[in-house]
Amino acid sequence: MVTELVRGGVGVADTRHANDRREQRRRRARYRYRDGKLAYWLILPAMVLLGIFVVWPAIYAFYLSFQDWSFYKDPVFVGMKNYTDVLRDPLFIESIGRGFIFVLLTVPPMLVLAFMFSSLVVSVSRRFAGLLKVSIYVPTIISTVITSIIFVLIYDYSGGLLNWFLGLFGIDPTAWIGDPAWALVAIAVPAIWLGMGLTSLIMVAAMVDIPPEYYEAASMEGANWWQKTFYITLPQMKNVLLYLVVTGFVAAIQQFELPLIMTNGGPLNSTTLPNLFIFIHFRNDINVGFSIAAAMLLFVVLGSVSALVFRFVNSERLVD
Amino acid sequence: MQKRITRLASVGIAAVAVGALLAACAPSSGDDASGTTTIEFWHRTFTPVENEWYADIVKQFNAAQDEVKVVDTEVPADAWDQKMKAAQAAGKAPDIYTHPGSIQDAVNAGQLYELNKVVDEDKLGEIIDAAKPVSEIGGKYYAYPLLLEPQSVLFWNTDMLTAAGVDAEQGPATWDDLLAACEKIQPTLQSGQYCISPAQDAITFAWSSVGQQYNFAGHTALTDDWTAPDVENAEYEAFIANYKELWDKGYMPKQPLAAYVEGKDFGEQKAAFKVSGSWMMSEIGSDYPDLLAKTGIGAFPSASGSDDRTATTLGNFKWVIDAKTKNAEAAGAFLEWALAGDPENLVPFFVDTQFTKVPVRDSVQEAVAGTQGAADAPWSSIIVDDIAPTAIPEPTYPWDVSLAVGTAVEAGMKGAASIDDALKTASAAIQTVIEKNDLPSKAPSN
Repeated sequence: MVTELVRGGVGVADTRHANDRREQRRRRARYRYRDGKLAYWLILPAMVLLGIFVVWPAIYAFYLSFQDWSFYKDPVFVGMKNYTDVLRDPLFIESIGRGFIFVLLTVPPMLVLAFMFSSLVVSVSRRFAGLLKVSIYVPTIISTVITSIIFVLIYDYSGGLLNWFLGLFGIDPTAWIGDPAWALVAIAVPAIWLGMGLTSLIMVAAMVDIPPEYYEAASMEGANWWQKTFYITLPQMKNVLLYLVVTGFVAAIQQFELPLIMTNGGPLNSTTLPNLFIFIHFRNDINVGFSIAAAMLLFVVLGSVSALVFRFVNSERLVD
Repeated sequence: MQKRITRLASVGIAAVAVGALLAACAPSSGDDASGTTTIEFWHRTFTPVENEWYADIVKQFNAAQDEVKVVDTEVPADAWDQKMKAAQAAGKAPDIYTHPGSIQDAVNAGQLYELNKVVDEDKLGEIIDAAKPVSEIGGKYYAYPLLLEPQSVLFWNTDMLTAAGVDAEQGPATWDDLLAACEKIQPTLQSGQYCISPAQDAITFAWSSVGQQYNFAGHTALTDDWTAPDVENAEYEAFIANYKELWDKGYMPKQPLAAYVEGKDFGEQKAAFKVSGSWMMSEIGSDYPDLLAKTGIGAFPSASGSDDRTATTLGNFKWVIDAKTKNAEAAGAFLEWALAGDPENLVPFFVDTQFTKVPVRDSVQEAVAGTQGAADAPWSSIIVDDIAPTAIPEPTYPWDVSLAVGTAVEAGMKGAASIDDALKTASAAIQTVIEKNDLPSKAPSN
């Protein structure tokens, strides 16, 4: 009997607990999903726009990359022909290689310069830091088109600012954007100039976020600036640097306006970066399958490299 | 709930507004309630006098009748390709538009409307033989040319030539003459001045040097049956070697002073010789009138032993009707009225462009020649009578073939590759184009 009572009591208690838990869960769920429907409505515009302008075009582009299509005739299925045509085109392979060279010409110098700049910003007075931040950010808000035109004027063979300046030291003029040996470097400079602002500001934000206690402790141990930089600043900025490397890589290899306006891909294709290659084909070719296939292949290259970067440089939570 | 409905309503209104805005951006052609058909006409930005003629001819046509209303859009030349591609992709290409170069690719792609269906046969028959290769394929017309114009003509500054002791009346007839002239001219130049400003990038060489290739080799980049490239030979090597000499000896600038199609560098007297199309004369006339009297013009220099072959292609601008238009009749009526109608409609165009272009109908040629100004434009006869009649039409093979040769010229000229290697690369690139496009099946000889 007693046993039964106890059992019965346990049973009642169990039921009550279960009910409580269920009630709690319901309440929590209500709390968690209390604006569920509204949330869906709020993300709807973004999803619709993404669907219309990204997802559907991507699917349709994938479909069209297997077709011969000219806007005027119905697409004709040609299998892998567009892809094999692109891969057999030495200019496409060269443009991808050139894209990587352009990344090397722009991303590392930009990161180093931005790091030096942001180190300066965090070590000077607040007011001066503000001035520095504004001045480094100005190029970012100048349009790439205007930057291109300004740099074309600077690089001009006869009458350009750069050749005039070098002339003061008796150096012969160089066709900076007319000589295949110099053109890519000449385009890398404005790319760095344009990208410096945002990179620097992100780095400043990351540096400001590092707890000052680390530096105080390091100072007490007698660490110098280099040691602090290598053992505190850089490791603490790992995630930000990873972000900057990936976005810098993607932005650099996709650079398009600078070579389009400054050199139109020339001289001798020395500035035909992958996106410009695709654009020139899209603009000139009557059939668009080739340029779509090229774009798909570039997508694969970009995705693979980004995945590799993430694979080898794991992002981690900051350990406080 | 009430709030949510209001919010939803605002989102809905915004979406409708965006939709309406997008719809408003789209070209609007078609019939309206009054029975007037509205058609879209796009043309490029040319020289100011040409742009005026375009605006004027549309205005005149709209005033002359009330069945068709033409909406004229002037598109900057460097934005043309992008804008047109975007419009075609959206299925919103204009009903009628200007078109340069060969029509072969566009006809193969089904882009052009057959003019025989909407333009009177007699009017089509008036097109002179020289303009037929760019307007007719297989007995059907797909384009009505407005003009023909030599694409490689040599201009010279008579003062600069005379100062250097070079004959300013007759320009250099051969490349040897040109190089000898530059040797004399170079010491007389100031800093920033050059003997000659020719084409110097692959893309410009690609289209502007086809006539010169023909002049040197007696053929262009493909064999007649389009089965193989034909550029690895002594003639093509000699052709590039001449440009290399201009480059190496500093006769030409290391970076273009102005685009090939523009006369700015010549107008500012930075070059004694300028290579450009015949149209440059009209720019000199409008922008540098003082220079007009001291501008010499002649055929582009020939290779030694070229048997008087021409060194230029005959460029053109045509009007075409888009194959997808719903208003082909109306577009045809406008085209017929403007280009194939009263010659007097066209006379101002050729007069205002300084008689530098060739009309494609005999009746228009006569009307232009009969104007007061024609007698005062001695260069007109050089272009129309000396250069144009022997000029060859633009090639009908794909652009990538021309581009491969253009790239070889630039590479060989600048020393980025030996001339042999540059031509070998071009040959391989052309072979790829041949296979990719199955060119033998499209050769004109077939």
